[in-house]
Amino acid sequence: MYRDESYGRPALELRGLTKRYDDGTLAVEDFDLEVPAGAFFGLLGPNGAGKTTVISAVCNLIRVTAGEVLVFGEPISSLRARSWIGLAEQDINLDRFLSVRETLIYHGGYFGMGREEAEERAEEMIDAFDLRSKRDVVAPKLSGGQRRRLLLARALMHRPRLVILDEPTAGVDYELRQELWLYIRRLHAEGTTILLTTHYLEEAEELCEEIALIRGGKLLARDSAHGLRERYSATNLADVYVKAMAEV
Amino acid sequence: MEGQITGTQGMRWLAQRETLRVSKLWTQTVLAPVISSLLFILVFGLSLGDRVRNVGTVEYDQFIVPGLIAMAMVQAAFANNASTIFQARAERYINDILSSPMHPWQMTIGFVVGGVFRGLLIGGSLLAAAFLLTGVPLENPAALALTAVLCLVLFAAFGTVVGIFAESWDNTTFIGNIVILPLAFVGGTFYSVALLPSPWEELSHFNPIFYMVQAMRFGLLGESDVSIWLSLGVTAALAIPAYLWAQWLFSSGRKLKD
Repeated sequence: MYRDESYGRPALELRGLTKRYDDGTLAVEDFDLEVPAGAFFGLLGPNGAGKTTVISAVCNLIRVTAGEVLVFGEPISSLRARSWIGLAEQDINLDRFLSVRETLIYHGGYFGMGREEAEERAEEMIDAFDLRSKRDVVAPKLSGGQRRRLLLARALMHRPRLVILDEPTAGVDYELRQELWLYIRRLHAEGTTILLTTHYLEEAEELCEEIALIRGGKLLARDSAHGLRERYSATNLADVYVKAMAEV
Repeated sequence: MEGQITGTQGMRWLAQRETLRVSKLWTQTVLAPVISSLLFILVFGLSLGDRVRNVGTVEYDQFIVPGLIAMAMVQAAFANNASTIFQARAERYINDILSSPMHPWQMTIGFVVGGVFRGLLIGGSLLAAAFLLTGVPLENPAALALTAVLCLVLFAAFGTVVGIFAESWDNTTFIGNIVILPLAFVGGTFYSVALLPSPWEELSHFNPIFYMVQAMRFGLLGESDVSIWLSLGVTAALAIPAYLWAQWLFSSGRKLKD
């Protein structure tokens, strides 16, 4: 367990986040969001809503135009804050020169692990994600499902406190999706904060304790699935989504 | 992860990843450039060497060795870093590094190490082969080592910059084939520029690779067309801004982050 000054702080605080891309597109403007530590939090919105921009800002992958990003109270510019985040991106972006085992070990190394610790943890992740038979196979020779599993294993390799999953089950078959969620649920039960974006609304409704709906870079609503259903007089999250998006 | 995070561990792993890439692709990254340079030594040095006059007191087959080694090393360092960065950007696995707890200067070092490593492997292999084939001496090892490091840092850093700006594979190969290779060929590898008529002799002094070839020649043969200090000074004067440019790109995130 983590017992330092960051303990008890929200997992994520976005204050006045604004991102204007070089081509002039304003992806998010003056965006505020707080994700409590230990939450399973969903970020939902249509394509182009600004979800990936928000995630990229949190993971130091874009140049933020204005605003502040804090992870467990630490600014994202600090190495400590970055070491607490695990990211599984929407697109599969695995290093083509590394085997499954090397992918995990090198990722652990980039995030500050020593060799012995990284090797041990990699073996653990290989078993957890059923990649034992592909341990020494390079990423381009894996199937789509295996790559997706490796991507998730890589995100979790360094035991992050905040796991960000950007469309983790896009294009994944039902069986694998169930497997992945089983693992993520277990992780969440152990205290890890999960920030999830997905287009599968029933998935978000079932998994997320709290959901934020965004569109055009603005926060439309934020509540539990139950609270959102009540607010929009809807029977399920899909109805909520349709009504919320129609309001804009 | 708990405990103090300094990024040093990450930098070491990144440097190791870059050297691993070179090792995994050794037939392309090391063997091919070594063979093509050896062919130059065999064809120009050993086959035609008997028909070409000595250059000063140096036999022609030994005279061309320093320039060929310099040429192979700098081209490899450039190509290595231009391709590794471009590919990591194109396939977006560079995000794993950009999101990691490493300082930008540590990322720059990690990447530059790969190009330097590849250049040293090629340089070392060529030197050993050239010694066996031509008996080339090693007159000033310290000057040779310093020259090699400066040249490799310069071209690995320049390759990093090009890899960051490149929009296609063509961009990365264009600089290598249209800029570096011709400059290397007219940089005094195969002849002493002192033998050239005016203005070609004077113009050669504006070619940065000329100074690298001269410094390498001083290190191996103990003689060159210009002072070793001038050669080292020019190489360092180019290596420092090239490195700082690469470093600035990592610090600012320009072209690496949207």
